[in-house]
Amino acid sequence: MTGGSWLCLLAPLGGTIVITLCGTRIPRIAAAWIATTSVFVAFGGAIWAFLGVHSQHAPNSVGLAYAPSVYHQGEITTAWTWLQAGHFSVGLQLLVDPLSTMMMLIVSGVGGLIVLYSIGYMDGDDEERRYFAYIAFFVFSMLLLVEGGNLLMLLVGWGLVGLSSYLLIGFWHERPTAVAAAKKAFVMNAFGDATMALAFFILIAHTDSLSFGVLNAHLSSTQANLVALGLLGGAVAKSAQIPLQTWLPDAMEGPTPVSALIHAATMVTAGVYLIARTHAIFEQARTIELIAAGTGALTLLVAGLIALVQTDIKRVIAYSTMSQIGYMFLGVGVGGYANGMFHLMTHAFFKALLFMTAGLAIHALAGEQDIRNMRGLGRLMPFTKWCFLAGALALVGIPPFAGFFSKDPIIASTLNIGWYGYVFYACGLVGAFLTGLYTFRLWFLVFPGEPSPFVREHYHDHHGSEGAWTMLLPVGILAVLATIGGWIQFPPHWDPITRWLAPVAPSLPDAVASSTQETVTSIVSVLVGLTGIAVAWAIYSERKIAIPAAPSLRRLLEEKFYFDRLYDRIFYAPAVATANFLRREFEEPVVLQTGPDLGEATIETGGLVRRIQTGLLRTYVFFLAAGAAAVVLAFLIAK
Amino acid sequence: MILASAGNVLVWLVWVVAAFSCLASGVAVVTFSNPFYSALALIGNLGSLAVMYLLLSAEFVAAAQVLVYAGAVVVMFLFVIAYVGPRRETPWSGGPSWQTFGAVAAAGALLVEIVVAVGMQASGSLSHETKVGADFGTPAWIGRVFLVDHLLAFEITSVVLLIAAVGGVILGTHTRRPDLEKTV
Amino acid sequence: MLGPNVAWYLAIAAVLFGIGALGVLVRRNTLVVLLSLELMLNAGNLALISLARHWHNGAGQIFALAVMAVAASEVCVGLGLVVALNRRELSLDVDTLSELRG
Repeated sequence: MTGGSWLCLLAPLGGTIVITLCGTRIPRIAAAWIATTSVFVAFGGAIWAFLGVHSQHAPNSVGLAYAPSVYHQGEITTAWTWLQAGHFSVGLQLLVDPLSTMMMLIVSGVGGLIVLYSIGYMDGDDEERRYFAYIAFFVFSMLLLVEGGNLLMLLVGWGLVGLSSYLLIGFWHERPTAVAAAKKAFVMNAFGDATMALAFFILIAHTDSLSFGVLNAHLSSTQANLVALGLLGGAVAKSAQIPLQTWLPDAMEGPTPVSALIHAATMVTAGVYLIARTHAIFEQARTIELIAAGTGALTLLVAGLIALVQTDIKRVIAYSTMSQIGYMFLGVGVGGYANGMFHLMTHAFFKALLFMTAGLAIHALAGEQDIRNMRGLGRLMPFTKWCFLAGALALVGIPPFAGFFSKDPIIASTLNIGWYGYVFYACGLVGAFLTGLYTFRLWFLVFPGEPSPFVREHYHDHHGSEGAWTMLLPVGILAVLATIGGWIQFPPHWDPITRWLAPVAPSLPDAVASSTQETVTSIVSVLVGLTGIAVAWAIYSERKIAIPAAPSLRRLLEEKFYFDRLYDRIFYAPAVATANFLRREFEEPVVLQTGPDLGEATIETGGLVRRIQTGLLRTYVFFLAAGAAAVVLAFLIAK
Repeated sequence: MILASAGNVLVWLVWVVAAFSCLASGVAVVTFSNPFYSALALIGNLGSLAVMYLLLSAEFVAAAQVLVYAGAVVVMFLFVIAYVGPRRETPWSGGPSWQTFGAVAAAGALLVEIVVAVGMQASGSLSHETKVGADFGTPAWIGRVFLVDHLLAFEITSVVLLIAAVGGVILGTHTRRPDLEKTV
Repeated sequence: MLGPNVAWYLAIAAVLFGIGALGVLVRRNTLVVLLSLELMLNAGNLALISLARHWHNGAGQIFALAVMAVAASEVCVGLGLVVALNRRELSLDVDTLSELRG
């Protein structure tokens, strides 16, 4: 099974290298297929690794929720020892265990479908090869992150996905907005990287190791809190939670498949994975873990509210992503790691589906992304319409679609942890209402009804069908997964995923809801979701209710709760002012002038020295005599 | 005793005369504006120095001084002075303004330092005088010392003389074609 | 030794050296500069001879002979230079011969 993990990791890297080395010698379509096949090969490797872990997994009878007996931690495979300093050594290690294989399957599977989709989406772009090299590199980086056998490899993968994200957001680098968005994403992620590095320094200082076992070491409560805080900082930055969330909507400047892969299915979920992987530390620092849950709850509300007023189709879906990751943070924050990971899986399915169908619509309308122009598209693109509907219903959590099975356990798990659990519960339900509202606002504005004049004018199909087969096939597959993907776990009746993850990420007892709580929560959240859909239908489709006019509230939402303005004023403006000040006072007069000044000074000194060369013999002899006199004087004094 | 003291007085007398003429001719060399007269004054200087060498039991060196210096070097000088023709020049003129003052200062400084050095040594290594034998300074003695103890100096000196001779010839050679002479 | 002791001779040598140095520094005629150089060399010779006598060391006289030979060579070359200068109708004033000025 370790062979599978190496294959999974290295196949996309191989794809990147091949595309890079071949350069323009291969046709663009060949580069595209190389990338796609490499990711599918990675998926094959992931399946192999999964089967390997499965065969070694402790057998336990069906019906037992948690099996604490045989505890297979997974196998670590080491390529070579990379770094050794005193007692501290870290190697190029991969870990193959239930949690990592689950993530490997999601990343390579959904990733493969998205890369296949991008063959059709990016067709005709001049820099297609660069795109596919970058995206294969991203898949490699994400796999390194989830397969990393120690914290340092995880951090390496962490940084590399940040880099790939920067490269891909700014892919169309002639657009200044894209470049700015890429920089913003990278800088905010760098903040998270820094806090994680600090957490690792504390770990090294106290335990001399960065292997995963060190997380079980007993740290003092201050140290545990600091480490957990550092890890949380990294997770919050990478997963675009408050307060580091402003980069995600801007990241929609990248191509739609990039948004689907990086900013919906995989990279932004890395924070959730991190908390699940390092749950031992978080359990030692329970306060920080609850702060993570609170952050998730807050974000899911804020993002849901902002999504109500967005007019760009991709931005709505981006805020929806932010909100759903809030749910995942809530889930892992209270201790239900399996719940969070399951929601991660279903979310990957339906969010990638939503982005890809949006991409079909954008492609068909020649790049238009404003939903106010898109009314009635469903009449012309039925396949897209039905797939989007499937994704939307999964997102809102209506049975039998996937989101129902994964979202409700998270909401229900908050009931047993104390008074703040009730607050989280309320947030979760309000979030479900908002989800229904903004999702179906989007649906009703774009798809049903008579096609608008804009749509009639700009719509063009792709040789008679709605898109290339490379685009339609993944969309179809994901639509099926969004429908049936949730059926794999329905706590408390059957929960294979929880049992699968139990050896490495057992849920805390507080986070397990009783079956009554589960049932009640499910019914309530479905009703709340349906209410949201109904309100959306009333406002946006049938125009029965007008949107309440609350200009200040509307402005608050449109300004995204003024986060961008605030950060601009706190961080950006002072930085620019400092840079300008330094340039004016220091760089120009001192540094830049140093060269010319040195030159002038040298010339002047030379001019002075030149005066000694009078050309007169007598002067030279005089200097000789004077020098001799001085030397004799020195000798006399020495005597 | 009287003879000895008479000898001493005689030596002192000779010494004073020689020293005086040495210094006077030295000043004359430096101050005459006509270089011919300066060269002639040098002869007087060399002669008085030879006398002093005799007083110092360096007979061979005295003879060599007269032969080589006065006989060859000064003759060369006189030839060249005659060849280049009349040049008159006032000694203290020309040069940067600080030159004269600087020159006097430097020379004076050297002089003072040497005097001080000698004075300081007078109580040290200069206080032990040794007696010399009768053959000290005779040609035979010089010849033996030159060719036995200091053979290397002898050889090197001969090489230096050879090089100088060659250099002098080259410098003094007429160039064949007169027009080349003009290109400097 | 009869007569003045070595310090007197050394004093004469010092004064003679100073006069020669002054001549080198002050005079502008090349030939007179060379003559002053001879004065300095002779002063050195005098010091050598007197100290050789004082310490009964023959090397002083040998050295003085070598100095004499070197002085002769140097005069030979220097006068050759003067002759060459004269042949090219250049001035013999050392202040004018300043093409190497910076």
